[in-house]
Amino acid sequence: MQRHRIFLTGVGGQGTLTSTRLLALAAMDAGLDVVSGEIHGMAQRGGVVESTVLLGGFTSPKISPGEADILLGFEPLEALRALPMLMQGGFAAVSTDPIPPLSSALEREPYPPLETLCAPIREWAGKAVFIPCHALGVAAGNPQSANTVLLGAACAAGAFPFDMAAMEAAITKHLPPKIVDVNLAALRLGADALCG
Amino acid sequence: MGKELLDKEGGARHFLLGNEAIVRGALEAGVDMVTCYPGTPSSEVPDTFFRLSPQGPYRFEYSVNEKVALEVGAGASLAGARTFVTMKHVGVNVAADPLLTLAYVGSPGGFVLLSADDPGSHSSQNEQDNRWYARLAGLPCIEPGTAQECKDFTRAAMELSLTFGQPVLLRTTTRVNHVRGPVTFAALPEKTPPAPFVKNPFRYVPLPASARAMRLALLDKLDALSAAADISPLNVVSGQGTIGFVASGICRAYLHDALFETGLAGTVKVLDLGFSHPLPKNLIADFAEGLDALVVLEEVDPIVEEEIRALFQRRGISTAVVGKGEILPRFGEYSPEIVEGAVRAACGLPAREKTLYAVPADLPRRPPNMCAGCPHRASYHAVRQVFGDEPVYSSDIGCYTLGIQPPLSCADFLFCMGSSVSAGSGFAAVSGRPVVAFIGDSTFFHSGITGLINAVAGGHELLLVILDNRTTGMTGHQPHPGVDHTIFGEFSSKVDLAGLVAACGVTPVRVNPFNHKATVAALTDLKEQSGVRVLIAEAPCPIHARKVKIARKTPPAQVAGDPAKCLACRDALACPAFTMVEGVFTINAESCSGCMYCVQLSPEIKARKKDG
Ligand code: SF4
Ligand code: SF4
Repeated sequence: MQRHRIFLTGVGGQGTLTSTRLLALAAMDAGLDVVSGEIHGMAQRGGVVESTVLLGGFTSPKISPGEADILLGFEPLEALRALPMLMQGGFAAVSTDPIPPLSSALEREPYPPLETLCAPIREWAGKAVFIPCHALGVAAGNPQSANTVLLGAACAAGAFPFDMAAMEAAITKHLPPKIVDVNLAALRLGADALCG
Repeated sequence: MGKELLDKEGGARHFLLGNEAIVRGALEAGVDMVTCYPGTPSSEVPDTFFRLSPQGPYRFEYSVNEKVALEVGAGASLAGARTFVTMKHVGVNVAADPLLTLAYVGSPGGFVLLSADDPGSHSSQNEQDNRWYARLAGLPCIEPGTAQECKDFTRAAMELSLTFGQPVLLRTTTRVNHVRGPVTFAALPEKTPPAPFVKNPFRYVPLPASARAMRLALLDKLDALSAAADISPLNVVSGQGTIGFVASGICRAYLHDALFETGLAGTVKVLDLGFSHPLPKNLIADFAEGLDALVVLEEVDPIVEEEIRALFQRRGISTAVVGKGEILPRFGEYSPEIVEGAVRAACGLPAREKTLYAVPADLPRRPPNMCAGCPHRASYHAVRQVFGDEPVYSSDIGCYTLGIQPPLSCADFLFCMGSSVSAGSGFAAVSGRPVVAFIGDSTFFHSGITGLINAVAGGHELLLVILDNRTTGMTGHQPHPGVDHTIFGEFSSKVDLAGLVAACGVTPVRVNPFNHKATVAALTDLKEQSGVRVLIAEAPCPIHARKVKIARKTPPAQVAGDPAKCLACRDALACPAFTMVEGVFTINAESCSGCMYCVQLSPEIKARKKDG
């Protein structure tokens, strides 16, 4: 079975861990061996939240630098910060919606221009997709579905060893009923954004 | 994960967090009594027990601190209950006093202590290795490494405890508590009534004379446990070759992946050590036969490594032992990479070359911060306004430790839970400088109250600010003795915080920290006074308020006037809802919790009018 190491990064409060779980469940329901890792606690107070999903027979939930095949960045600054985790030539899917840290809001550390964040990712990754997740989440009916937009884009790009139907099934099965439709729409919009 | 954890039948496979799997393991072991003090990375264990407690076949409590949790558990086990006690690693220090006698007295009903260690100090003040406690207190130590093992080993730990009538240490680390993986359930047992307690004071009261006998009995039990470890199914030997690896906990996962990556699986010998104390001496001596080198993989301290060195010396085994002194670090977490490096070094393979992307050094950082609308931020802001940089700020453990960040800068030193009061007293006594100590309500109940009694009785000089957010914020909003509400509604048997402080001999001043004027006035008053003074700054944590459904809907704040005039407020308060959009100050309505504190600081900021 082909092995995949997926590294996910975002900002506390963004729902990174919920998306991680959804991705892992989709893989498990598709019959893959899955192990996933996350760190709770202090970081969730607005800090960086990192998690992992490893497919195909790993035991370890931790990914070492340069060993992720796939990087999912739910926030562009954090995607760049996590780029050392991605192997050269790997796949990256990145949200283009900045969430400036407080130091940037206080004008102590300027938030870099978006292109400064994306260019190195584009260069380092073999394939990289950049998605306006927030806007598409809003279009799907709720900005909180922005992460699902990114999962949709990555899935449609063929990053995962399972297809859109598996992602859709996982959303339907594992998310609370009242947010299923919004997330299905978000998944679709993410996939469509690739072609557009 | 919800009610599935209580399913009576076995066979189902669920995708579980390590901590949820531990809960299922305890249930499969027929747990009767669960006590705890929450703390990352252990918290989801008690929180899951708490959530399921209305239906669960056990009694659960969030105890006031770890010592109390352990003592309540110890008593329950004497009364025949299968008892499970959970805490984070530093919590075991608080519980160390009863723990070190527990193994003398024994725990006939069954007793498992979960110690969730935090190598790498992800959310802790240190990375102490609690496997030492197994040695210090004379406890068998069980270490799971996967989600499935979290369940299976918890159950095995309880069975071991029941067999020997002794307490067992279940030691996990952050990566294990927070791993997710598929877990296959076994059935839940039918509950048996607890064996009645038969009085026998010389067995259960460690007076000097009986304690000496208990100590000898404990040493015999540890010998018997070492023999049990030799044949335990938790210790597994695999592979063949002249290089051997002994690994425990999450290191086992790293080792198995490293052997796969290097193609060495099967060509080296591996001992998966799940039952790590007492050391399975015969098993390890047999394992070493034919080995040129034996590599020990364990995080933090070289405990198993040094025990193996001593064993080899005693038995005249010449196999080289390789560990922390040689190729492995003495600090922090291991990783697949570190372990693969050790495997390659031991097996004579060249190190693996990797090119890594180098991150620019000047990326803005993103340290954790108190939430928008956190009452602690308001308290800190007011204290700074009244006291400035003059006092020394003695901090404590909770969300409010994050007040260390500028511009609030309200944490100058910290030791442990409850230390703000006592360490602050000591500092003030010698330095003569004013000291303002901060402690949360939960931490005050945990161990601040003894410091306060001491400060009053010892005639110390201190202003103590109790940041009373009506919950235990940092670890996930667990109840404590003073709360008004839990996820199950109103909490009826609460202990009155202000009354408690008054009973210690200080009449506390109470304010709502979101009332800026009143808070500043109270602090200005208290600044003029001497002796031990207590301010209770009381306002519920907004996240907790939402969880227990007592939050009032308040409109967010917005810049109504000149944004340029808000910058002083921005720089002094640093609420995370503040942001700059193309150089202009604005308030992010999605992040703002509507606490209305900034509105009192700047006339340019107003509450957003309700539409329509
Ligand atoms: S969780 Fe509550 S107490 Fe903790 S920082 Fe957030 S608002 Fe403050
Ligand atoms: S009202 Fe002001 S201080 Fe309170 S959360 Fe909103 S922006 Fe922050």
